[in-house]
Amino acid sequence: MQRQILVILLALLFFASCQKEKVTLGTNVSETFYLDNAGASMRISVEGNTASRTFLVLVHGGPGEGSLVYNTDYIIQHIENKYAIAFWDQRNSGASQGNSNGNNLNLPQMTDDLKKVIELIKYRYGQNTSVFILGHSFGGLLTSSFMTADQNQSMVKGWIMVDGSQNYPLNDTLSRQMLLTVGQQQVALNKHVKEWNLILEYCTAHPGHFTLTESDQLESYAEDAETYMDEVNQFNLITAMETISIDVDLPITSIIFNYLYSDNAGFNATLAKTQFSSLLYKIVIPTLLLYGKYDFVCPKELGEEVFNKIKTNEKRMVISPVSGHNFMFQDPVLFCIEVDNFIEKYR
Amino acid sequence: MNLQRFCLTVLFTAFALLSFSQSDSIGHISGSLNLKSSYNSSLIYPGARLGVEYGIKQINPAMYGSSAEKRNFFKDRFISANISWYHHPNFHDNFYLTAGWTTRKTKSTGFFTEFSPEIGLSRTFLGGTTYQIDNHGVVSIKKLAGYFYALLSVGGGVGYDFSKIKHKPFMLFCKFNLLAMYPYNSTIYLRPAIEIGLIYKLPHFHKLKPKE
Repeated sequence: MQRQILVILLALLFFASCQKEKVTLGTNVSETFYLDNAGASMRISVEGNTASRTFLVLVHGGPGEGSLVYNTDYIIQHIENKYAIAFWDQRNSGASQGNSNGNNLNLPQMTDDLKKVIELIKYRYGQNTSVFILGHSFGGLLTSSFMTADQNQSMVKGWIMVDGSQNYPLNDTLSRQMLLTVGQQQVALNKHVKEWNLILEYCTAHPGHFTLTESDQLESYAEDAETYMDEVNQFNLITAMETISIDVDLPITSIIFNYLYSDNAGFNATLAKTQFSSLLYKIVIPTLLLYGKYDFVCPKELGEEVFNKIKTNEKRMVISPVSGHNFMFQDPVLFCIEVDNFIEKYR
Repeated sequence: MNLQRFCLTVLFTAFALLSFSQSDSIGHISGSLNLKSSYNSSLIYPGARLGVEYGIKQINPAMYGSSAEKRNFFKDRFISANISWYHHPNFHDNFYLTAGWTTRKTKSTGFFTEFSPEIGLSRTFLGGTTYQIDNHGVVSIKKLAGYFYALLSVGGGVGYDFSKIKHKPFMLFCKFNLLAMYPYNSTIYLRPAIEIGLIYKLPHFHKLKPKE
């Protein structure tokens, strides 16, 4: 019996040692920790130069996509050599874990999660740490929620929005309009006529007041439309994941099932009606807006609205002429230059 | 965890396994006890597995079919208990106990195939320091952070029984298992695992003979 107890104690010690706190300040750090909040244990992977005490919190898209797919070789070499990036897997996304926690999958809870992620980074790496947040796609909505709530923006030095949306109803309207305008031009140029006519037919038949189903269909057509444009540097998510999966220990099946769950979760119906346009006036900190010229999913006019409504002169908007909805993958040189300059200026 | 769903899942699976194991019952022979140990690789991630299996029945179809149908192989049925673990860096360590039912078909040459469904309980340990922050911003570390899950496993494999020709009391095997854990973030989590291992037949347990 004593031997059995000893074995159990040794096993517990082994697992406890895997979870021992380790905080590293260096120029090439890679470490992982978790934030446990409201039924979810969310993975945060910090990569890069933590000695700089400057952190970029990456708020991924989706909802439900993981964050580590953004950890490309180019970003490692051109951003993580100077600053650290905190790749945060939101609840029910990527490598985040939990039991029956679907009831907590909503935007206010995720906004609270983001606030605690920033608090945790400052706890681990020092209260004098400079934190920036970067929201991509759905991450734009989540960071808009964070930035316009309470005094949250005082926790960060700057906000970067990449192909993001602060207003889903407006987003749908702009996507439809862009699909119609560009679609008609492409048909006139005799390019992908069959595909564009299908899109044009749908957009003409659905003029506004979109249901969630219509919104999803518009997004699907918007994703397709980007691939019909010769000017766009095409990006393949699956190919990108294949190149990094083993290096960063991506839990592939967790990513897939979390994505499927989140993508079909009930809170998407609420998101479809969510907007922060009326609260943008609250934002007074430096802001960088990066949009793809051929982003049909989150058209650049969303960025223009943010640019015009925030109350700061420290703002900049950049349009990539070769990007669609994934600026950081499709125009990585411009992306890294702009992010580097922004962080260097305001950290 | 939704306890009601968990209990229903376990009950349903136990009922299914019990029904399956009795479906072609000819007669039970209590018998052999085998010890199993294996490298339990979850794709590229390491792990280990230990288990015992207890023979509940052995069938030689040659004794029951017509002469035209006579085939030279044995079918064994076992119940098993297993303790398994794999390590996925920065994600989790998963430690799971399972009970299962195994059917193994062994040719006279010693080669065998097997199939085994199992049910059990999983406990994960997160692959990194886990923090909690209260609404006042006070940070604390959560010890032994992780989750319990109900676990189902279905596996099939091939192997070689050295006792058939060489009269050695062990078998080598390779087996593919698919694990399903529930409720994982309100959905399921699937994970493939490959076992490569050894089964040792305990000598002091009497050798099974087909029941006529």
